[in-house]
Amino acid sequence: MRTLVEVVARCDARGRTVLPVVRASGQLAVRRTGPTTVHLVATAFGPLGGDDAEIRLVVEEGARLAVRSVAAAVVLPARGESPSSRQVVRAEVAGALDLAPEPTVVTARADHRAEVRVQLTEAAELTVTEQVLLGRRGEDPGRWTGTTRVERSGRPLLHTTVSLGPGAPAWLPPVAPRAYVSTVRIGEPRPEVRTGLDAVRLPLAGGWVGTAWAGELHDAVAALASVTEDAALAEVAR
Amino acid sequence: MTAALLALADSRLPAGGHAHSGGVEQAITAGVLTDPGSLAAFLRRRLTTAGAVAAGLAAAACRSADDAAALAVLDAEADARTPSPAQRAASRQQGRGLVRVASRAWPDPAWASLPAQPHHPLALGVAAATAGLTPRDAAHAAAYLAVSGPATAAQRLLAMDPITVAAVTARLSPEIDRVADDAAAGDLPADTDPLLDLLTEVHAARNDRFFAS
Amino acid sequence: MPPDHNLDDYVDPYSPGHRHGGPLRVGLGGPVGSGKTALAAALCRTLGTEYDLAVVTNDIYTTEDADFLRRNAVLPDDRIEAVQTGCCPHTAIRDDITANLDAVELLESRHPGLELVLVESGGDNLTASFSYGLVDVQIFVIDVAGGDKVPRKGGPGVTASDLLVVNKTDLAPMVGADLGVMRRDSDAVRGDKPTLLISLREDPAATEVAEWVRQQVRARALQEA
Repeated sequence: MRTLVEVVARCDARGRTVLPVVRASGQLAVRRTGPTTVHLVATAFGPLGGDDAEIRLVVEEGARLAVRSVAAAVVLPARGESPSSRQVVRAEVAGALDLAPEPTVVTARADHRAEVRVQLTEAAELTVTEQVLLGRRGEDPGRWTGTTRVERSGRPLLHTTVSLGPGAPAWLPPVAPRAYVSTVRIGEPRPEVRTGLDAVRLPLAGGWVGTAWAGELHDAVAALASVTEDAALAEVAR
Repeated sequence: MTAALLALADSRLPAGGHAHSGGVEQAITAGVLTDPGSLAAFLRRRLTTAGAVAAGLAAAACRSADDAAALAVLDAEADARTPSPAQRAASRQQGRGLVRVASRAWPDPAWASLPAQPHHPLALGVAAATAGLTPRDAAHAAAYLAVSGPATAAQRLLAMDPITVAAVTARLSPEIDRVADDAAAGDLPADTDPLLDLLTEVHAARNDRFFAS
Repeated sequence: MPPDHNLDDYVDPYSPGHRHGGPLRVGLGGPVGSGKTALAAALCRTLGTEYDLAVVTNDIYTTEDADFLRRNAVLPDDRIEAVQTGCCPHTAIRDDITANLDAVELLESRHPGLELVLVESGGDNLTASFSYGLVDVQIFVIDVAGGDKVPRKGGPGVTASDLLVVNKTDLAPMVGADLGVMRRDSDAVRGDKPTLLISLREDPAATEVAEWVRQQVRARALQEA
């Protein structure tokens, strides 16, 4: 099944953000939940193996947009030989985008590919937070592959692919975590490195990227908060 | 041109690789790498992440060896795939070392196209081109070097049986070939291992280390 | 090979010994505890006011030697570079000199008027020696406390170094070492190459070694001119 979400945030003549385009088709609905906030709402179980979702976000100069979701996305395998499911976020940002959906839970046998591709202008601001859990409680882990590419004025700032779950070549004991979280932040330069227990924060041009992993999601979130010094994140972890 | 490829991938090529463990020294300190089995796991992690990226970059650089603009783009792509400052520094240090030896071995105007302290895979790609090798050869050298140096580091640090370590590396050959072939044929890989980032950064902050990375 | 084939095709015309400009690079090698760092410190004190000088240290495990030189304020921090040797101090000065060349070149670019660079090896054994791709001349330091047999045992450091320094002569009576034997054996294996028997405790300025280094700096300057 194909899903498409489109949101455009624009700065009006009085300097306020308006959302002239907020539409969705397929398995996601999108709701305005605040002046600069939208929530994604799943309208069906899934994503299921074979599903393909694209989320197109445009944040024009001077505008702000926060994208959230109302609940964790539980990725399920299709019956029989399940193909992978895919979700791509494409964002063009001249203003400020804050993308922080609820966790993605990849159930046993499911194989989910997530991509976040962001193009920033020189002055744009970005926060992208991803939370992944492999398998529900007591269940075998599924497979998750996440690619993040952030460009500023056409120049790549970050391009990484993380593969987790059984069969992923770099997901090997003794370090094969079920929970993985990351935050990419542009517009807040932090040139120094921070390391923690299973967490690391690295500098990017004009920003930073933090990643953490653990057996449980709340532990990974807490580990990330310890290196990003993010009060909101620390609150979530508690 | 097989002999030139062997020369390029030879651990005795004096390009500075012997002082880099590719995260192995810290993996040992962290207790992640203790024996031949965990060495194989660590090398496999490294091969399929940093190794794949290096192989892709080396192949691409070999294709564009005399194109300074293309190499500058690849250098930026290498930075984007290497957010860890310690890994960037290690890569550029080894890149500089390789340029020093390979530009003497295979003098060529193409060397002038490289940035001043290029990422190691870029230097490797240009070296391959000047030695008459193919992009696929460059990818193989990069993928092989991504595990051979770290394997030697583990051998030195853990006083492992050198024959065991040689066997581990040799048995990775089919996977090295596959990673190199895929990387040379497709889009630039971006695979990363956050564990490797963490290990290298913790290592870089230490005062008591044998290896530069 | 065809009769007209030119062997020069195989040979790289670059010769490290004929670098144009740049400082004299002096290697300081020798076994652990023989006094390499103490000699480096002494040379820094004695020659530091005469020459624009810097040091590269190759510690086995830590930056202890570099820290020693810094702590003793022999040289400012930006004139000391420490390199990691990947568990192989030997490799770093002879087989793959990349890290050391990087360090020397960094010092040269930081101090364009540099006249003298001391490259101190990590403590190794009697077989350790510097590549002449890295240094112009090398000093091998052994000590009396290691026993008077050391020169007779030889090894590349003892036989082929440009200057052999036998340190801690003040300890000879205490360890039962015969300085005469050491002198005779050294001369026998070293031919015309000089050997100096010194005690850094009695002569903290390392007067004779410093004088030998001065000669080498002058010789290089002549070669350049």
